Amino acid sequence: MSREGFVPPTTANLGNAASGIQSLKNYGVKYVCAQCAVNFSLSPKEPVRCKECGHRVLYKARTKRMVQFEAR
Amino acid sequence: MSKRKSSHSHMTDTNNKNSKSSATDDGFGELLQPVYKGKTLTDPINTADDKWNLLPAFLKIKGLVKQHLDSFDYFVDTDLKKIIKANEKVLSDVDPEFYLKYLDIRVGYKSNGNPKNIEVLLPPHECRLRDLTYSAPIYVDVEYTRGRKIIIHRDLEIGRMPIMLRSNKCILSGRNENEMAYLNECPLDPGGYFIVNGTEKVILVQEQLSKNRIIVEADEKKGIVQASVTSSTHERKSKTYVVTKNGKIYLKHNSVSEEVPIVIVLKAASIVSDLEIIQLICGNDSVYQDLFAVNFEEAAQLGVYSQKDALEYIGRKVKTIRRMNAPKLTILQEGIEAIATTLIAHITVEDLDFREKAIYIAMMTRRVVMAMHNPKLVDDRDYVGNKRLELAGQLMSLLFEDLFKKFNNDFKANLDKILKKPSRASEFDALLHINIHSNNVTTGLNRAISTGNWSLKRFKMERAGVTHVLSRLSYISALGMMTRISSQFEKSRKVSGPRALQPSQFGMLCTSDTPEGEACGLVKNLALMTHITTDDEEVPIRKLCYMLGAEDISIADSATLHTNGTFGVYLNGTMIATTRFPIQFVAKFRHLRRTGKVSAFVSIYTNVHQSAVHIAADGGRICRPLIIVEEGESRVKAEHLLKLKQGAWGFDDFLINGLVEYLDVNEENDSLIALYEKDIIKATTHLEIETFTVLGAVAGLIPYPHHNQSPRNTYQCAMGKQAIGAIAYNQFRRIDTLLYLMCYPQQPMVKSKTIELIQYDKLPAGQNATVAVMSYSGYDIEDALVLNKASIDRGYGRCQMLRKNTCVLKRYPNHSKDIVTGMRVNEKGEPIFQHSALGPDGLGEVGMRIQSGQVYVNKCVPTNASEGVVGGQPGINQQQQYREAPMVYRAPEASYVDQVMMSVSDNDQALIKVLLRQTRRPELGDKFSSRHGQKGVCGIIVQQEDMPFNDQGICPDIIMNPHGFPSRMTVGKMLELVSGKAGVLDGSLQYGTCFGGSKLEDMSKILVDKGFNYSGKDMLYSGITGECLQAYIFFGPIYYQKLKHMVLDKMHARARGPRAVLTRQPTEGRSRDGGLRLGEMERDCVIAYGASQLLLERLMLSSDAFDVDVCNTCGLMGYNGWCPSCKSSENITKMTIPYAAKLLFQELISMNIAPRLKLSDVF
Repeated sequence: MSREGFVPPTTANLGNAASGIQSLKNYGVKYVCAQCAVNFSLSPKEPVRCKECGHRVLYKARTKRMVQFEAR
Repeated sequence: MSKRKSSHSHMTDTNNKNSKSSATDDGFGELLQPVYKGKTLTDPINTADDKWNLLPAFLKIKGLVKQHLDSFDYFVDTDLKKIIKANEKVLSDVDPEFYLKYLDIRVGYKSNGNPKNIEVLLPPHECRLRDLTYSAPIYVDVEYTRGRKIIIHRDLEIGRMPIMLRSNKCILSGRNENEMAYLNECPLDPGGYFIVNGTEKVILVQEQLSKNRIIVEADEKKGIVQASVTSSTHERKSKTYVVTKNGKIYLKHNSVSEEVPIVIVLKAASIVSDLEIIQLICGNDSVYQDLFAVNFEEAAQLGVYSQKDALEYIGRKVKTIRRMNAPKLTILQEGIEAIATTLIAHITVEDLDFREKAIYIAMMTRRVVMAMHNPKLVDDRDYVGNKRLELAGQLMSLLFEDLFKKFNNDFKANLDKILKKPSRASEFDALLHINIHSNNVTTGLNRAISTGNWSLKRFKMERAGVTHVLSRLSYISALGMMTRISSQFEKSRKVSGPRALQPSQFGMLCTSDTPEGEACGLVKNLALMTHITTDDEEVPIRKLCYMLGAEDISIADSATLHTNGTFGVYLNGTMIATTRFPIQFVAKFRHLRRTGKVSAFVSIYTNVHQSAVHIAADGGRICRPLIIVEEGESRVKAEHLLKLKQGAWGFDDFLINGLVEYLDVNEENDSLIALYEKDIIKATTHLEIETFTVLGAVAGLIPYPHHNQSPRNTYQCAMGKQAIGAIAYNQFRRIDTLLYLMCYPQQPMVKSKTIELIQYDKLPAGQNATVAVMSYSGYDIEDALVLNKASIDRGYGRCQMLRKNTCVLKRYPNHSKDIVTGMRVNEKGEPIFQHSALGPDGLGEVGMRIQSGQVYVNKCVPTNASEGVVGGQPGINQQQQYREAPMVYRAPEASYVDQVMMSVSDNDQALIKVLLRQTRRPELGDKFSSRHGQKGVCGIIVQQEDMPFNDQGICPDIIMNPHGFPSRMTVGKMLELVSGKAGVLDGSLQYGTCFGGSKLEDMSKILVDKGFNYSGKDMLYSGITGECLQAYIFFGPIYYQKLKHMVLDKMHARARGPRAVLTRQPTEGRSRDGGLRLGEMERDCVIAYGASQLLLERLMLSSDAFDVDVCNTCGLMGYNGWCPSCKSSENITKMTIPYAAKLLFQELISMNIAPRLKLSDVF
């Protein structure tokens, strides 16, 4: 995980930390607005809404991870 | 081998051509280009060949689903206003001063707004994605009293109306291709459906017997003749019969307890003198008079002579259900009430003037008398002219009226409750209370459309399955659904009549497209060029009739009514006038219609048997356009077609100028229609626009259907809807529950005009495979196909399957809500296997491969979700506990995350949709079909090296066994092959249009010119030995469709697995990993063979073997070597029986039946 992803354990998320769930604050996942195609990140507390145009349909941007396809 | 690729290049060629022309809208722009189908504007125009251009012009203004759109438009624009008018006032029982009156109603725009500018909140595609309803607000203008003042309030929203896509209230109407693309809509999508809660719903066309018309039937066995009429008004629906019983005629109605002699009914309807009765019914025909005379006797015997007698007689028989506080009526009043409102309810009686109704009853009686005399004069229930089609608009109007009445009742109840209170703090304002109920209208409409249950208390109508989910399997299946007509007849009844093909169906309903099996013939499809009428105003037509010299019936002398040569003029089944010059009358009327003075959809025809001129202006009649022929000459001339080609004229101009007119089934019967221009004779009145329009949109895909055995075309109609192909231009933006897409679809080499008209060539579902018709290996028996492995590697038959998975993050009343948590990691800091496809936000990463057992939405549900809200304030430092409720992928084959969409549904809950994609290449057992009802599964996939090839090195993609041909008689498929081969060699696309298309002779000519055999046969070499094959092989391209049935979705095997809880037998079905049942018939085989141990193993040991302790003393079952009823362990025997048997015994015991087992030695 990136350094930004790390959040020091608090009382609220100690339970999560114990069970191995990474806490979620800002993990840099990018979303794309379905209307204006702007790229931005969103924290789970925020409402699902484009930051530019206010459109309420968002797509998750394609992963940066390597994806290998089988040539068949 | 490279030859196969040529078809690819054709496609791109034509696409280039299209892209140039489709800058204008709808793809019809092509038609307006300087060069169209190889013809320039200056080329000579041949009416016989070019009159088909009227068809695209028709479809341009009408569209394929115009009937739905017209019907919905009529409902929103006209019918709504009528409904408001009929229920315009809300009064209070408490305060006589109060009233509220509806002045106007509009959908989608405010009083100061522009009707063209519709305010729908969201575009349709967003509604699909977000599971919302595509709707527009319903505004009313009201006038009401507040205290002493009268207030007019405009633009009061009373609810939201679901909007039919592409109707005039939809934001898509009149958009061009670019604007459609901006709205994420496909310009080829036909529209005509609703989007309710994110699903696309179609209201299928319903077929029923026409309302307010007399139908005469005879039961020859029982000697009964009856005339019945179903009266349908806004308030009620009832059926009135005039029947014979022992040679006498009676009137029968549900609310009259017994049959009333017809003479008494007529007397009650103020036809008192016997002379007038006989004049009205029999005229001066002595045969009819003799038949009818008996009826006078009965009235006389019953002592009914005057109108008062008759009304009292009827009043006594009437079954009345009065409302609670309605005043009690005298018998006489009951009689008047019955005659005026109950019997034949669709004719309204004003000022107790019964004459019109009396004449109607007399006409019914006359029809009965006529049928008694000549049993041939009965009506055919299956005749298409006696049918009416009910469309979305009519059904919506019924529903809306019901909801609106309920809305008003609720409002009134609320009003009374408040007005009853003696003192109020502020002045009463009705507006504050009307809004409370607006949700009822919205939810009522939504619920009816989404469940398909139309329950209207007014008509005692309880219809289920009115709406269906629009099938998006392929473009064709969606299109086919929009033209489908379902019948109200019961499926279980064993009468062949309603299922049979009716001659009157010609040109109106497709002759091929009907399902097989139980709905065969009951579900029909519209033909290509049909229109369904909407209601037209009666009053102007009635006035016009009088103007044209017909004499008003109310002032006509009864004696002259049925004299020879007098024709009655009937408007929508009711006699309104008489004329002595019917031919002239009809001719004049038609002239007015052709000049556009009367609506084009009003039909007029004469019925000589009934001496009647019928004018029909009601909705739901099927009609179609035809070219008018006058004096043996078609009215449509080359000059008109030229104008059409130049774009100066549209289809409507042909209509207005009287060159083309719409005929309904009844009027068709009055005309002589020539199929081709050469067939025109002196008596011809009309000319067919195009012959292939007898077929519908789905059957139109078949090349050379007129060469096929008819059931094959029907099979193809069913299969074309299962073909995988392109669905819409917006297919990659859609998130549907299940979506099949073909990777490299091609337009067919052999097209038809219909294919171009419905633009199947732009959204095709199939590929042009090079087929060798020969036997190869043993894996091609029973229609199995041999597939070329190299073709598959190059993408033949490759398709994608996209599946939607929805996840709603719920909010609970105690302010807790579902959350999505991140991934869990192992000690090395790597995510665990189940979570390896997740992103840090707990949702699957787009593009990642997901294997069985992996999570794609890591949802967590609060553990205290069900706890009440009142259970104490949730502490801020109190840790919210969550339980994992992840969405796990389970399937034998891995998928890829295609899209992850996040949004908010209408109740503010987060909505997550994950689209998973699988790419599939053809494999053993996948189903393919040509366009001729010839389906087959892939039997073997062969290396290209082993495939036969010709001297040019061309290798087939598919080898088909020739045994498929002789019994199926699909000559069309052979012609498709020859035409396709000629097209490939020539670099052209050939036509296989029904009753036309490229001629075999021309195709053979091309083949010969290119150095091939004229019959399409080639010399092939064996791929295995390299020897020349001993026979010439029929070899060429055939358009093959890949059907949605794929092995991957069906394959299933199990050794051990889950068992049902109750019976402990293996579960059933693939989805539950069930076992394979050894059924009764298989059991019979095993018994017959004598393999008893196998039977024992299959039925008990591999299923639900269970060890029980049986007590030999009492014969009941015990446990642990102990019999609880004998209280001993003496005679206990252990044995194995099926658990289901043990269950049965116990269930019997619970019913006080003791099944006792008696055990004895067998050996």
